Amino acid sequence: MLFNSIDFAIFLPIVFILYWFVINKNLKLQNAMLVVASYVFYGWWDWRFLSLITFSIVVDYFMGILLGKEENQKKRKLLLWVSIFINLGFLGFFKYYNFFVDNFVAAFSFFGQDIKANTLNIILPVGISFYTFQTLSYTIDVYRRKIEPTKDFIAFAAFVSFFPQLVAGPIERATNLLPQFYKKRFFNYSKAVDGMRQILWGLFKKIIIADNCAEFANQIFNNSANMSGSMLALGAVFFAFQIYGDFSGYSDIAIGTARLFGFNLMQNFNFPYFSRDIAEFWRRWHISLSTWFRDYLYIPLGGSRGGTLMKVRNTFIIFIVSGFWHGANWTFIIWGALNAIYFLLLLLTNTNRTNIEIVAKGKIFPSLKETLFMLITFGLTVFAWIFFRAENIEHAISYISGIFSSSFFTIPKFEETARAITTMILVVIFILIEWSGREGQYAIEHLGEKWYRPLRWIFYATIIFLIGMFMPTSESPFIYFQF
Amino acid sequence: MKRFILNTVLFLLFASIFYIVVLNLWGYYLPQSLKPNINYRIGSYGHMYSRLSEVKNYGEVDILFLGSSHTYRGFDTRIFAEKGYKTFNLGSSSQTPIQTKVLLHRYLDRLNPKLVIFEVYPEAFSLDGVEASLDIIANDKNDFQSIKMAFIINNIKTYNTLIYGLTRELLGLNSPLIEDTIKRADKYVSGGFVEREMGFYQPEKIEEKEIVFQDYQLKAFSEIVEKFEEKGIELILVYAPIPRPTYERYTNAEYFDSVMQGYATYYNFNEMISLNDSLHFYDSHHLNQNGVEIFNEKIIELIESR
Repeated sequence: MLFNSIDFAIFLPIVFILYWFVINKNLKLQNAMLVVASYVFYGWWDWRFLSLITFSIVVDYFMGILLGKEENQKKRKLLLWVSIFINLGFLGFFKYYNFFVDNFVAAFSFFGQDIKANTLNIILPVGISFYTFQTLSYTIDVYRRKIEPTKDFIAFAAFVSFFPQLVAGPIERATNLLPQFYKKRFFNYSKAVDGMRQILWGLFKKIIIADNCAEFANQIFNNSANMSGSMLALGAVFFAFQIYGDFSGYSDIAIGTARLFGFNLMQNFNFPYFSRDIAEFWRRWHISLSTWFRDYLYIPLGGSRGGTLMKVRNTFIIFIVSGFWHGANWTFIIWGALNAIYFLLLLLTNTNRTNIEIVAKGKIFPSLKETLFMLITFGLTVFAWIFFRAENIEHAISYISGIFSSSFFTIPKFEETARAITTMILVVIFILIEWSGREGQYAIEHLGEKWYRPLRWIFYATIIFLIGMFMPTSESPFIYFQF
Repeated sequence: MKRFILNTVLFLLFASIFYIVVLNLWGYYLPQSLKPNINYRIGSYGHMYSRLSEVKNYGEVDILFLGSSHTYRGFDTRIFAEKGYKTFNLGSSSQTPIQTKVLLHRYLDRLNPKLVIFEVYPEAFSLDGVEASLDIIANDKNDFQSIKMAFIINNIKTYNTLIYGLTRELLGLNSPLIEDTIKRADKYVSGGFVEREMGFYQPEKIEEKEIVFQDYQLKAFSEIVEKFEEKGIELILVYAPIPRPTYERYTNAEYFDSVMQGYATYYNFNEMISLNDSLHFYDSHHLNQNGVEIFNEKIIELIESR
């Protein structure tokens, strides 16, 4: 089920009413209902893959219990590796099987050995990368004794399958989300209103910014050979806003929806395009994944404690793994490696933690220096996005060489100029609103807080109107569903 | 909790009123480029306004034609009149079974045909029906059928245009239009036919495509066929002639034929008459008047030989 669909608009109020009005007095029933709702939500896409989630839930629930009981460190380690093997095994099969087969065949044929290996027609289960990482965080945290293993199967099932964040995150930690299923939830008016507001903003980002930018980004990337340098550059910028609007919009809807049910999910995006350097960008972009890799991969590898070589190795590992997590394609790996290079320059000069606070905190405008650094960081990010979006490496290279040509200085020509200009205007309005709200959890969290209610309602109704007036007419799924 | 529910309901009410008011102001004052999701054009392409104005006072007919632009550009009511048949052509641009159903609900009893010739074109079953719905919303009086149609199509453009159209109708903002009989190369002929100035087509290769049936289009189509059966109206399904490259682009054309044969008497004219892509068509879809004459003569021959 898509958040931006009529189905979800009907599903959400039904679940909400049942949750708060019918079974509000029984915590276990509420949790059970969330499991059922999550299964309906996921099964709407393809019910067959519910068996995979169920399997993950069962395996990790029992692994958790065994890890809690076991005192022998060797056996505990073995149990952990079994859990990791099973979870990553599923992920590896569904997501990476064909990639490895293709590359093995290519590698052998490079050395003159022709081998025959068949790829399979595998459907990638939506959200598998997300819930696999979430459930892995549980077993690892139990192994590290950061969290007690749960005996409440329903609570655990609700934690793994929680529908707001099941298919595209935020990838929650068991330490944050699981305990929330143990405690009785009370309806909180302010929290619910805040949730609604965040859902509205998420829808705006997804439907207006991402989907409109997608039309132009797709048009340009799919016909890049016939585009001028200026168009190609614009295409990459459109994609930058598409992916941000799409993914952060999804996260906003997920967080807002969870708040309606009394849950607090972690912030997943913190205005990343206002970053002054790449390190800051990675602290603000897809936070739940970046911190997952930091906690479960980077730090166990030694983090930045060792010598220079170790720092370089660890940085490359997490960025490349992070790239590979996004998809079985060399373009994602290059994208990760490119970001590693950007990041290393800061890490090795010890300037990776210079910009911690949000830019121009408490001020209306940034300084000239801040503006310049933001633009440079944005430019570097956009450049890396080209690899992320391209079909393959050759496509990315030809795209980049197209940008760095004399036609970069020509005026971009769109098939639908008026629509392109309208989209650009909407993006500018969006940037201004994001800028004004950058000190909150999401852009409109505090916007209009002190206004009279009618004025505030007019503002929200205007967002709804803009969605209705400028949404593309074809429904488009979220990009991160494919990861 | 009560406060939250009450405020949510109040806000939704407020937002709905706000939406309708702003939508109408926006639709009225702003240029088309700034209102991509409202497309309310009375008297637009294809003479739909003239056709729907005429049908209201047309009286009973012998033959009713239904379908897409292949219909209103392919069945010349004058040729049928010469042979003694009173006909009406209720085709419209990109008409899909969903729109056909709406039009039949409004005009079938009034026209009371003895025979219906329903032009079936693969695209009509795979289209979402948005563009054709806008044509009907803007050029006809809207009723419950329009609302039902909008819900089936479930597209923001259709919803917005319907809200805009309904408000204009309710407030009496639409002044009667006298649509020109001749618009650019098109000439409206009484009975719903549109004659195009003579032109010739330069065939070109067209990308291959598979015919995919939308479930809701097929459902609407089945209901239409049932309706004719209930009323005892004879139905003939016709796949009108199109240039060879357009016809041959469909990789599963036989499948389409077999589906149509399951519904009623079906004639695929692309397999029955031999036309020249250049001499008998003016574009990749439509017959020119030479082609129309050959096609219509053949269909009359078939009707008379039944």
